[in-house]
Amino acid sequence: MNPRILNYGDHAVLVHWEVDGFDAAVSDTIHGLAARLRAKGAFTEVMPGYDSLVVSFDSGAMPLSSARRRVEDALRRVGAGDAKTQGRLIEIAVDYSGPDMSAVADHAGMSETAVITAHSARDYRVCMMGFIPGFAFLSEVDPRLAMPRHATPRAHVPAGSVGIANWQTGIYGLDSPGGWQIIGRTDSVMFDASRKQPFLVEAGDRVRFVPA
Amino acid sequence: MTISVLNGGTQTTVQDAGRPGFRHLGIPRSGAADRLSFAIANHLVGNPWDAPALECALGGLHLRFDRPMVIAISGAEQWAQVNGMNAPMNRAVAVEAGDILTLSYAREGCRSYIAVAGGLEATEFMGSQSTYMPAQLGGIEGRALKAGDEVERASDTPTTTNTIPASYLPKLSNHIVLRARSGPEWELLDAHSRRYLFTTPFIATPATDRMGSRLRGDRIVTKEPLAMTSGPLLPGTLQCPPDGQPILALADGHCTGGYARGLHVIQADQWLLGQIAPGAKVSFRRAFEAEAPEILRVRNAVWSAIIPGFSF
Repeated sequence: MNPRILNYGDHAVLVHWEVDGFDAAVSDTIHGLAARLRAKGAFTEVMPGYDSLVVSFDSGAMPLSSARRRVEDALRRVGAGDAKTQGRLIEIAVDYSGPDMSAVADHAGMSETAVITAHSARDYRVCMMGFIPGFAFLSEVDPRLAMPRHATPRAHVPAGSVGIANWQTGIYGLDSPGGWQIIGRTDSVMFDASRKQPFLVEAGDRVRFVPA
Repeated sequence: MTISVLNGGTQTTVQDAGRPGFRHLGIPRSGAADRLSFAIANHLVGNPWDAPALECALGGLHLRFDRPMVIAISGAEQWAQVNGMNAPMNRAVAVEAGDILTLSYAREGCRSYIAVAGGLEATEFMGSQSTYMPAQLGGIEGRALKAGDEVERASDTPTTTNTIPASYLPKLSNHIVLRARSGPEWELLDAHSRRYLFTTPFIATPATDRMGSRLRGDRIVTKEPLAMTSGPLLPGTLQCPPDGQPILALADGHCTGGYARGLHVIQADQWLLGQIAPGAKVSFRRAFEAEAPEILRVRNAVWSAIIPGFSF
């Protein structure tokens, strides 16, 4: 699938794939492309997303037109195998007794045990990090578990909370406000500034949830 | 004990040039919200332009110097006083042990920079001492200064101070005009919105901080409701949520967003984002494709000749 390359202002470029929901092949390409662009060291930021990738750069040192050429060039070279060779598998133990577990079970028309089984049955890809340090946006859940966000976000969601928002699942890196349906919590610390490796996972890694 | 904080003011943090390159981990660049005024203050006291300095939003900061040192204040227009006597802005000023510096509330602009010859000592995280409050990173315990804090100088080796001709200094006002290029979802905004974005000013609401500024003004909406997947977001991006009131992302802004990215402020004007005070007018002016690199080239040429190593 050919993506569109768009200018993002005067010092960033966006590559966007038109996909409906999550597409594993597109995600492979995005992470392969991110690795290639990061290896060049020419960009200030290389930011992979679910269906897009953004690079930003100093347009005083690299004109927009050559940034676009570099992205187009890397895109031509990126192979299907690029993303598969990188990315670790991280197991995360989860206590599936989150405040929204019964609501998600009702939504899915399943027992809570069946929700736990469904949520922990597959490996997820870390598609994107953000919106706060250590927040891991993961690939799609079992379609039965896809439940929309709360209409009004909670003022406080503790760090380590595991949630669902439509087809996405994710882990909160810090205490923060948030609207995701919280089905569980892990003691794994996603982000700790004092640790030698502050981030437990990075975009491109895979995550497996293990019921605690 | 070098500098004692008697009153932290509205929000004062230690900032340097920030930690670029980690947005894919959810870590924003942070750093001085107004990179130019920050660099000016450092240059005046003889520091490298990117040495850690204090960033004071809206004023109200009271400091006591417990040793003689050289300081400079740049950025937002306000009345600075040392022991009740007016102290000049944009000039190196020698202070004595026991002197008390007070900053009034900002009249024009939002953020003042107080550089100290020798720089400041703060916690380093990922190569930068910039404070990022949401994750308590860098600075002094990752938070804003409060009464009772003590800030140390990184070095007390004397420096050679500098001057900058007044005609070169930026003139700040409470009507910030930002030149911008279209963002990735520009084409999805309706025709009315695309016209009004560049004609009437917006007002920065009280929801204005280092993360972003919620603007109030003409409704800016997409042609059709947009169900966007969350994606990467950069500072200086004008996000357009369904309620029609756009949000401008700043230095500490989230690394991802889920709303239409209508405009992106050009690189040469990003420093001005740090001078948007709550209540200020914010206007957007279209920068054309050939114009943006030329504006940057000229501004970089001027300022790198004044401040070694500096670029926008």
